[in-house]
Amino acid sequence: MFINWRLRELNLKIVYYGPALGGKTTNLQYIHSKTDPRIRSEMVSLKTRGDRTLYFDFLQLELGRVAGLKPRFNLYTVPGQTYYTSTRKLVLQGVDGIVFVADSQAHRLEENRESFWEMRRNLRELGYDPESMPLVLQCNKRDLPNILSVSTIHEHLGLNGVPCLESIAIRGVGVFETLKTIINLVVAKAQQQL
Amino acid sequence: MNQSVVLSEDIADQIHRVLSELRARTQAECVLLADISGQLVESLGSSEEIDPVLVAALAAGELAAIAELARQIGERRASGSLLHEGKNRSIYIASVSDTFVLVVIFSTASPVGLVRLFVRRAAELLHPLASQFEEAIRRSNATLGTDFGTALAGELDEAFGGM
Repeated sequence: MFINWRLRELNLKIVYYGPALGGKTTNLQYIHSKTDPRIRSEMVSLKTRGDRTLYFDFLQLELGRVAGLKPRFNLYTVPGQTYYTSTRKLVLQGVDGIVFVADSQAHRLEENRESFWEMRRNLRELGYDPESMPLVLQCNKRDLPNILSVSTIHEHLGLNGVPCLESIAIRGVGVFETLKTIINLVVAKAQQQL
Repeated sequence: MNQSVVLSEDIADQIHRVLSELRARTQAECVLLADISGQLVESLGSSEEIDPVLVAALAAGELAAIAELARQIGERRASGSLLHEGKNRSIYIASVSDTFVLVVIFSTASPVGLVRLFVRRAAELLHPLASQFEEAIRRSNATLGTDFGTALAGELDEAFGGM
């Protein structure tokens, strides 16, 4: 969290984390395509030639003044491929809240779990307490066959009391609901801290 | 690292002065300061072509990557600076006390050596400000009242309404 009192700006960083091809970039692309250009930046994507995320995607949303402050939300994704472990940790630096984008297909369960535990490890290594980090679970690809129930995914990740939303990011279903949920959690935590 | 940064008006003014001086000395098109997570602190001289928000996010990512590369090859500390020399514009990125990322975008007509020199001087001036941050948090009487959350929820509904 970064507050600039001279400019009355409140900057918060939200990272979309999760296994490869789970829909993290798709979430940001949808947000970018549907928001008024006056309240968002351009979307920057550092991609491989194969159109996969290499480093991160970035998009900033800036709302009008709220109670005298101008809130800005910096949205990042991490590269999902296993290969880029060290890069994911770099993107988590300064994070205020995380959306974990899980792939709901049954055969991706283990990858979800690995990614989730790696995220917790990375947070601890950066000096954060994973238990107190604002977190939202987004179960994506709900339109595909052979998907697991949300409660099964929730349970396998060992989550307790974490908000969970269903989504079909490619069609925008659940994308803004997820964003609103994480923003509310992050702001509630900021209120406690200040 | 795992902390909130609250920039008081006093520190913000001092940063503004250092960046103005740096820009004048180097005749840079744009100078900006971000925190290490890529959040923009202050920018001077942005144009329609240069979006300081995107530059801040990318520069912080670049610096984090080069620091990690240095660690991988057994260096305990990265040099903390990067230079891209372009055809028309160049960009110089330097870390300040592991807290800030300082970026200078300048015309290739400006000598690189001069930019490096003035960036080093600016970094020296910014260094004590970085260490004042924690103190600033303790002194800060900043509050996000309970009405902030409610007002924000309303604003979010308006911005994302019907989606």
